[in-house]
Amino acid sequence: METTQDVVFKGTKEGLYLILNAKQDFEVLKEKLREHLKKSEFFFKGAPDVILETGEEGFSLDEILEIQNILAYPYGLKLKKVKHRERAERREPETQRRTVRTAAQDKPREVSESRVAERPRYASVSGRLPDTLLYKGTVRSGQRIAYGGSVVIVGDVNPGAEVRASGDIVVMGALRGLAHAGADGDTNASVVALKLEPTQLRIGDVIGRPPEGERSAGSEPEVARLRDGMIVVEPLEGVRWEGDR
Amino acid sequence: MSQAIVVTSGKGGVGKTTTTANLGVALALGGSKVVVVDADIGLRNLDVVMGLENRIVYDLVDVVEGYCRLRQALIKDKRVDGLYLLPAAQTKDKNAVNPDQMRDLITALKEEHDYILVDCPAGIEQGFRNAISGADRAIIVTTPEVSAVRDADRITGLLEASGFEKPELIINRIKPRMVARGDMMDIPDIIDILAIDLLGVVPEDDYIVVSTNRGEPAVMSDTSRAGQAYRNIARRIKGEEVPFMDISEKETIWSRLRRLVRRN
Repeated sequence: METTQDVVFKGTKEGLYLILNAKQDFEVLKEKLREHLKKSEFFFKGAPDVILETGEEGFSLDEILEIQNILAYPYGLKLKKVKHRERAERREPETQRRTVRTAAQDKPREVSESRVAERPRYASVSGRLPDTLLYKGTVRSGQRIAYGGSVVIVGDVNPGAEVRASGDIVVMGALRGLAHAGADGDTNASVVALKLEPTQLRIGDVIGRPPEGERSAGSEPEVARLRDGMIVVEPLEGVRWEGDR
Repeated sequence: MSQAIVVTSGKGGVGKTTTTANLGVALALGGSKVVVVDADIGLRNLDVVMGLENRIVYDLVDVVEGYCRLRQALIKDKRVDGLYLLPAAQTKDKNAVNPDQMRDLITALKEEHDYILVDCPAGIEQGFRNAISGADRAIIVTTPEVSAVRDADRITGLLEASGFEKPELIINRIKPRMVARGDMMDIPDIIDILAIDLLGVVPEDDYIVVSTNRGEPAVMSDTSRAGQAYRNIARRIKGEEVPFMDISEKETIWSRLRRLVRRN
């Protein structure tokens, strides 16, 4: 096996391409990527966003998240896009349109692949609108949905389950597990649920948990947002959203 | 001299997690510095039993993979001083950690704590291998059922093969009345098969269900018989000589009457 070809960086106009050989054992691949980054640390400092290119096999969501982590700490590289070479997936520039994707039921682990794609930018209505992932079904203990955009769950999020979004999280059901909105540091992100009784809530880098002992769970939809660095929960009804959000 | 103790059983559902939580609390109440480690990656429970689920930010896998420092992942118990929990990851699986990493982790924990209790997953695969590596002592939990004792025997063999010279036994969920009637395996029967030292016997106690659901280990209750048994076991772990408690239920006039009525 040509081991040197497993991890390749290539600079292009679009950004920095990272080409990984998905056929290689993932653990080995991670180690090689770390080594590679360490060796050329200086070169990557202040580098543009990274575009991950894989062969047909691609990576699972978990694997992509791990790659994302390796790039992010401590090198500060951002994974912007995931491309599959063979399928020559091209995303047309949909600047004005809102894109909503659905994930197949019962398959939270497979959610994403190419969906880690494009990080959304929050702009005025005339600009690009953020990507949203629509997931139908119950997110069960041990399952994890992570998405570089907003997430809407049509179903419940059970204790032990985890939903992580760089944007907002909306649960059309009971949120009993962990939700992390604004996972990339967006302090304007919010979590909305029909029944908001999470194990733990995170917004941006603030972590909150429900007060000990009380099972206050209101029967009405609620929204959790950051106010003065604290997570505040209030009834959804009558909530006013600031600015263009 | 700090000790790492793995709590294991082979069979599931015999009370490893309950035992780990209760012994952890009992040892800490006795003034020791204790960490309970949930090695059941992917099916974590210890945090729920201890009522600490909502405080988890980092977990064992995060520590092993270097995403956080060990100290950041340790959760301080909300009631007992000197007791910490290192939670398992829920969204990963057993293969996320290997025995060498576990050994390093346990060694690091030993530096600042007197007792490290490791809650082992059911089974004899990777999760078991991880949980026992780094441990100095092993406690086997079984119930008075043939299947549980069979698995405990298998685990004893595996532990001995891995260099644990004297695993110790806890017999859990014994029902004195059934034993008295001869309907349940008796303590001597079990010892006879397993031929290892008995550390304690825990009677069946409905309060365990209540305490598990509330996230308050039973040792914190003065009235729970199981709690009393765990307190005694904790003292034995520390090397004290504690007489075995009399598990046969005292027959009051009422219970005798009830029994007579039922019989007729």
